[in-house]
Amino acid sequence: MDLDSFALFRIISRNLDWTAERQGLLAQNIANADTPGYRPRDIEPFAEHLRDAERARIPLQRHHELHLSGQGGAGAGTPGSSAVSDTYEVSPTGNEVILEQQMISMAETTMQHQLATSLFRKHIGMLQTALGRSGR
Amino acid sequence: MDLKDSLGIAAAGMRAQGTRLRVIAENIANANSTGETPNDLPYRRQVVSFRSVFDQALGAQTVEVDRIGRDPGNFSRRYEPHHPSADDAGYVLYPNVNTLIEMTDMREAQRSYEANLNVLEASRSMLTRTIELLRR
Repeated sequence: MDLDSFALFRIISRNLDWTAERQGLLAQNIANADTPGYRPRDIEPFAEHLRDAERARIPLQRHHELHLSGQGGAGAGTPGSSAVSDTYEVSPTGNEVILEQQMISMAETTMQHQLATSLFRKHIGMLQTALGRSGR
Repeated sequence: MDLKDSLGIAAAGMRAQGTRLRVIAENIANANSTGETPNDLPYRRQVVSFRSVFDQALGAQTVEVDRIGRDPGNFSRRYEPHHPSADDAGYVLYPNVNTLIEMTDMREAQRSYEANLNVLEASRSMLTRTIELLRR
C-alpha cells in the first residue's frame, strides 16, 4: 500500500522533509554565529513549499512513453532557502546571526516536527481502526 | 539535508568553539610569561579567526578555524629591577594579554558552544521521535 496516495500522509512526509531541511539551515546559522561576514539563511514557509510541490505533481502532457514525465520521487524538490533580511543587529565583523532568533526558530521547528510525527501516528491509528484492529 | 547532517554541522561548530577555548586557555596560562633573558620578547597573545566553509559531504556551510594569528598589540612594561629578565633600566616586558578580555571571550565561546549543543540536542530528539514512529 502506498501511503503517499493519502493526501494527509503526503503532506506529513513533506512537512517532515521541510523540518529536517530547516533544522539543517538553523544548525548552519548557529555553527557560523561567530564567523565574520556570515549572513544567516532561512527556508521558505511550509505553505509555499507545499504549494510548489503540489503544483509539480500535475503531470506533463506526453506524446510518447519515453518522454519525461516531469515527476520525481515522493520527496522531489527541496525547499528553497534565502538569506534572512530582517536581522536587527550586525556585529562589527559583519556577522548577522542573532542566536536568540535562531533559538526561537529552532523551537518552532521542533514543535512542527512533533506535530507532524503525532499526526502521522494518529492517522496510522485511524487506519488501524478502519481495519478493525483497534481492540487489541 | 537531513537531520543527521544537522548533527554534523553542530559538531563542526562545537569543534571550532573548542579550539577557540583552547587558545583562550593558552593566553590566560601565559598571561605572565616573560622572556627568559633580558632581550627576549614575552608571550604574544593568540587570536582565533573563524571561516565558513562548504562541506561537500554534508552539502552545507560548516565552520572551521581559519587561522590562529598573533595579536600585534604592544607589550606592557613594568619596573622590576630584580627580575632575571629585566633590562639595564630595570624594566621587564610582560605579555599583551588582558585577562579581562580573555574572560569575556571565554564566556562568548561558551555561549556559542552551548548554542551548538542545543542544536545537537534538538536534532537528536527529532531524530529519535522519527525513529519511534516505527514502534507501535
